[in-house]
Order: sequence, then structure tokens, then C-alpha cells
Amino acid sequence: MGFEKCHPAVNFIYFSAVIAGTILFNHPIFLLISYVCGFLYSIKRGGWKALAFNAVLIPLVAAFALYYINYNHFGVTVLRQNMIGNNMTVESLVYGFVLGVSAAGVLMWFSCIYSVFTTDKVVYLFGKVSPRLSLFLAILLRMVPRIKKEAKKINTAQRGIGRGANQGNIFQRLRNSIRILSMLITWTIDSLTLASESMRSRGSSLRGRKAFSIYRFDNRDRVYVVILFACLTLTMMAVMLKQTDILYDPRIIMTPITAMSCLFYAGYAVFCLMPMGLEVWTQYRFWKARKTL
Amino acid sequence: MAHFQIKDLTFSYPTAKAKKSLDGVSLSIEKGEYIVLCGKSGSGKTTLLRQLKSVLAPHGKKQGEILFNGTPLEQVSQRDQSAKIGYVMQNPDDQIVTDKVWHELAFGLESLGYDQKTMRARVAEMACYFGIADWFHRDVANLSGGQKQLLNLASIMAMQPEVLILDEPTSQLDPIAASDFLNTVRKINIELGTTVIITEHRLEDIFPYADRAIVMDGGKVIADDTPRNIGKLLYEQKNDMFAAMPTPVRVFYGSNGNGDCPLTVREGRTWLSKTYPEPTISTLPAEELDDEIENPALSLKELWFRYEKDSPDVLRGVSAEVPMGSLYAIVGGNGAGKSTTLKAICGICKPYRGKVKVFGKPIEKYKATELFGGCLAMLPQDPKSLFVKKTVREDLAEMTKDEKKIAEIAAICEIEGLLDSHPYDLSGGEQQRSALAKVLLTEPKLLLLDEPTKGIDSFFKEKLAAILCKLKEQGITIVMVSHDVEFCAKYADMVSMFFDGQILTTDTPRRFFGNNSFYTTAANRMSRHVFSMAVTAEDVVELCQQNREAQV
Repeated sequence: MGFEKCHPAVNFIYFSAVIAGTILFNHPIFLLISYVCGFLYSIKRGGWKALAFNAVLIPLVAAFALYYINYNHFGVTVLRQNMIGNNMTVESLVYGFVLGVSAAGVLMWFSCIYSVFTTDKVVYLFGKVSPRLSLFLAILLRMVPRIKKEAKKINTAQRGIGRGANQGNIFQRLRNSIRILSMLITWTIDSLTLASESMRSRGSSLRGRKAFSIYRFDNRDRVYVVILFACLTLTMMAVMLKQTDILYDPRIIMTPITAMSCLFYAGYAVFCLMPMGLEVWTQYRFWKARKTL
Repeated sequence: MAHFQIKDLTFSYPTAKAKKSLDGVSLSIEKGEYIVLCGKSGSGKTTLLRQLKSVLAPHGKKQGEILFNGTPLEQVSQRDQSAKIGYVMQNPDDQIVTDKVWHELAFGLESLGYDQKTMRARVAEMACYFGIADWFHRDVANLSGGQKQLLNLASIMAMQPEVLILDEPTSQLDPIAASDFLNTVRKINIELGTTVIITEHRLEDIFPYADRAIVMDGGKVIADDTPRNIGKLLYEQKNDMFAAMPTPVRVFYGSNGNGDCPLTVREGRTWLSKTYPEPTISTLPAEELDDEIENPALSLKELWFRYEKDSPDVLRGVSAEVPMGSLYAIVGGNGAGKSTTLKAICGICKPYRGKVKVFGKPIEKYKATELFGGCLAMLPQDPKSLFVKKTVREDLAEMTKDEKKIAEIAAICEIEGLLDSHPYDLSGGEQQRSALAKVLLTEPKLLLLDEPTKGIDSFFKEKLAAILCKLKEQGITIVMVSHDVEFCAKYADMVSMFFDGQILTTDTPRRFFGNNSFYTTAANRMSRHVFSMAVTAEDVVELCQQNREAQV
């Protein structure tokens, strides 16, 4: 049982917070924590594919930093001068890396969001705001794959009489494709009309629509939220105590690292590791349960 | 108090001024009744059913009155109508609105604004009653046609309607899914006492259990009686609808039977063994199939095919030979690979092993223009997907510029009157024939038909059969894939059984169905204990007559 089994609201709050943190915090340690956790969690969820994706991001980050240092020349610690005589500074190099890492971190977290946040969770969350909007979204989610399928069906049917999108010379192909497309539009309108009849027949135009959900907010979700907010409070304190502040221009200046800062780092790390921790913990429980059997 | 009371209802669509779609219909439907509404396509069945629910009632000129539980329907609130009058339509796909099974089940309840707790309880109840629990969390897109229609039914039953209206609910389903669905409807009627009003082509499955059958023709109710009496009435009136009656009824009246008319196969068997305890003539001639076919129009040798590299094989060594100018039918269960075989024949699917030869020439040797211009053509399962223009005429003109040719083909397919309609406005049978016309304009010598009888009524089926016979006379070879055993038994020259990706047996229809005991026609199941090789109602009637003459 992974993070995706938690209540969608919990998923939503968590991911909003973690993305916000990754974008807002320029402080290298906070950024590194978020990056590493995002790296690990995306691999936990996506396996080898995620690892390959994350690995590709690393050279891209370096490339971005190199690009950045060549076009931004703030800072006082000059490394050397480039061909046209502009200064290349440590500050701009570091800031380029910070930007790159934060973008890579956001991408990795998004790959986790994609695997945790299924469409029905989106529909559910919208339903909390407006049941009509969520219904619209659900219809859209049903229509898109249906249209794709129908397009394939029409094309196959046309191929059966030699009028497919890939038969004949280029002009015939173009003409066939346009015809298939025009019929697809007619079909879509037609089937939307029928769908709307079926909806009205089941009272969709009545007042007081409510959204049904299969989710329940259980005790585990409550525990999760408590820990989540404890970590968030700690991080907010860090923000207020200027622990997350850092200046890159003209010189890298940050609040000195004290024992208390380590507490904040720990808090943020716990926060970033929460979904991963939950999944590892559940796996451990299963492993233990199997051993005792 | 009647559940629905229809008083002298007359209705006409605004487009057709003179023609009345409903003409003085008066009916009374009691609570808990199971009513079958039958009639040819275009007889006004759907128009009548739609009048019974205000949101679905089409625009037009309406006279007369409909009372629901004694109140005029217009005065029954939308909320009550939504909940109490359930309506299931023809196409399972078009009715499903959301993307998840559980969401669809709850759709009506959401509209009615129930609280979460009630919704949960109702949804759970429905999932259990309809056996949906196993696929509760699935995406709707992954369901089979039968499951989709069952979901539509369940999502309507969740609102606990008092009356269930079904408009040809099984026309898009295969026979097994269809009879499952109809059994569920019957179970709802018996166990919950829900009033059921249903229109159906497949009368065999529901006729015996209906309390009343209502026959419509040209917008009028021409008969309203128990199913047993309806058969007699239609026979005496020589009505076209008699052809749609269950086989036992047709055999009984066709052979001038005495006593009570049988409605089910079981009753038919009892009646036959009473009437012909020891028949003098008990079999019909059934010619054997030639083993050697000279110059086959189509030959398939050990075709193997799979859709994707890692997916299981769909075709597992399909071999067949089709003689020139014959109607060759392939029957078999759902998903066995029948349609894929057709696709392999016309090169849409490329088998990774085996050979397809069309008129003696391997398919890959043909140029595309040569193959589809005058050699072969396929009529797909859904005729709608063949149309690309706004009128049937434009669609036909698409294929050829020769006006004479179009007129000729239109005459063969009997669609002259439909040429200026939008293809989507036609009924299933009309669409089927228009699509066939379009396919025929490529002048194929080998015609491939995928489920040509799907969703069309018995009257149109006979028309289609007549067209196919005409084509055969012109020397066209026809290969047909179908679930419709009755149709194949009656009209095919050769029938093959498709199972597990292969063609297992091939024989003439009489020998093929005559030797099967489960996968066979109702006529054969009904008569196999006294006659052999009688596979259509006409066969049984003929044997009955021969025996009667012998007795005299």
C-alpha cells in the first residue's frame, strides 16, 4: 500500500507543499534535501525508467549552469574571462546550478505526482469545489479515449474499401484523412448528443447535485496530516527565522548554520521523505507479517 | 390504478407533416407487468417509448394524454421522473457518461443529491445485485459490450425506478451477453416487481416470459394480447412481423398445428413428440461437402497473427478454402478471432506466418489499387464508420462518378428512397444496406461481411438475405462472419466453426448445425429428437408436412 492509497486531499496538500518548497527555497541544503528525496521517491515508484529519466536530467542541469554562467555576469568572485571579455563568476555558476537543480527536482516530483495522482482523484477534488465541473472533467476523460478508438475504427473501415489514411498516393491520403476527420467530428457531436440524453434522463439537470466518492478519510490519513503539518510548521519557522534565506548577488551570503538549523533541515527532510517512508514502512510490515506466518 | 395510462396519443415529427409517427395509441400498463413492444423498424416503437419520459420526448405535434400513476406526465416533477422512470437505450457506449464504473453507478444518485452514506449503500447494493463488484474500480473503456449495458441497467436501477423502459437494449450485444442481459431484466421484474416495457428483435429470449405483447405497425397498435394469442393473430393477418416470432411459434402455425401454441423450445419439443410420435420421414437430404475445391476464390493456409509482439496469438493456424460464387459463413464465440481473419484477408492485418490467396494470387502480389478496386471489399461491423459525407448520395458518389452504376446498386440494395438522408439519421437496417451499397460500388468479386445482421430486425434480415442472393447470382463470392446461427443456417452455402484462433470444422449448414446439439439453431434444438438435419423453421415445417401427407 503506497501513498496513492491515502485520501486525495492528503496527496494534494502534500504535493502542493513539496513543489512549492522546491521552487521557493534557493538555499542549497533545503534544495538538496528536496532533490535527493524526489530522486529516491521517483525511483521507488517508477523503477528503472525513472532512474534513466533522472540520470538524463543531471547532465542537463550541468549544461544549464554552463549556459547560465556565460550569459549572466553578476557576482564578485571572478573565475576567468570568456572570449568577449565578460566575467564568469562563482556566484552565477552556483546560482545556475541552483536553478537547474530546482527545475530537475520539480520534474522528478511531477513524475511522482503523475503516478500517485490518478484522474479519478482529480475528478474527486474538483467535485469538492463544484460537482458540475468535476462531472464535466469526467465526461472529458471518457470522451478522449473514445474518440481515439472511433478514429481507429473509421480508419479500419475505410481501409477495407481501399480509402484509408495510409492508402493511395499522397493526395489521396490527404483527402482520405480529411474525410475521416470530418466524419469523426460528426460522430463526436452525435455521441455527445446521445450522452447528454442519457444524462438528462438520469436527472443531471436537477438542482442540488452532489459528488459521490469512494474515498474515506481514515485514521492513517489523520496521522499523516498531523506529521505533515508538524513538519510544515517547523519549515515555516525556518522561513521566519531566515534560515532559508540566501543571497547570490553580489556575493553568496547565508545565515550561519547552527545546531538549530540542523533541526530545521531534519524537519524538512522528514517532510520530503514522508511518502517514501510510508511505502517502505508498509513493505516492512508485510515482510514481517510473512515471516511470522 | 394503471401505472401508465396512454389515452389516444397521436404524434408527428415537425419534419414529416402529413405522416403520423403515432396514431391514436391507447394503452394501459399495470404495475409489475412485463410488456414486449414489437414491430418493424420505423413502426413507432421508439417514438412511443420516448413519450413516456418528458426529457426524452422528441419535439413535434402531440395530442392525447399520458398518465403516470394517475397524474398527467407533464405534471410529474423532473425529479420524480428521473428517479421513477428508468430508460435504457440501444447503444451501450453512448449512454455511459463517466470514465469509471463506480462513478457511473452513482451518477443518478449524484443528480438526486443524496448524501454520501446513502449513495455508498445504494452503490454497494447495486454492485452486488448485478455482480459488478469484481470490476467496480475499472475504467469503463476496458469493459465488454455486455458489461457496459449491464452497467447502464445497474446505474438506472440504483435510483430505484418503478418502471424500466428498454429500447432494443441488446441489439449491439452478442447472443450470450444478450441473453444474460435479458435474464437480468426478467429477474428484476420477478424479484423486485418493477414494471418492464421492452422492445426487442430477439423475441426468442423474452417472448415466452412476457405478460403481454403489443404489436405496432405504422404508428398504430395493431395487437395487444398475451404472447400465445399474438402469434395466432399475426399468422392469421399474414403480418410481416410473424417472421420475427420465436421458432416454435412459426413451426406450429406454419404446419397448421393443433392445440396450444408452443412458445419455448421445451414446449415445442413436447408438442412435436405428441404430434409426430413415430415420423415416417425423419430426415432431410443433406449433401456432403466436396473435399476438393477447384479454383477457390479465397484460400487461407495456416495463418498466424498477433496484434503486438508480446500479446497472445489471435489467429493460430487458420486454414480455409472458399469456392467461387458461394456464401461462406464463419460462426463462433466472441473474441475468437473471426473479425481478425477478415482483416487478414484484406490485408489490414498482416499474418506473420501463412498465406492468403485471393483468386489464386497471393495477397501481397496485388497492388493496393488492384486489390480494392474490383477485387475485394469489406463491410465493417459498424456500418456507420463507412460514411464520410452528409448524404448517402454524396457518399456513394465518392466511390464512382458513374451515375448509372450508383442508381443500379441503389436499386439492388433498395435504398433509392434514402439517398438524400444523412447516414446517421437512418435506422440500423437502412445504414447496413447503404454501407453495403457503398462497398459494392468498388465492384468487388469477393465481399467480406463482418456481422452483417447485428442490430437489424428480422424483416430487414430477409431483405439483406435477398440482396446477398442477388449478388451471388452475379457471381460474387461472399465471406461472412456472424453470431447469428439462424441466419447462417438459412442462407449460407458453407458454415465453419471458429474456435481458439482456428477453423475447426466446415460443412454444409444442414450437416453442420444438424450434428451440433448446443451451438445450433432453435429449430434444430426443438426437433432433433424426432427429426434429423432440420435446422430452420422451414425445414421442420417441411418435414411435418411430408409426414402428414405420408399419414394420409
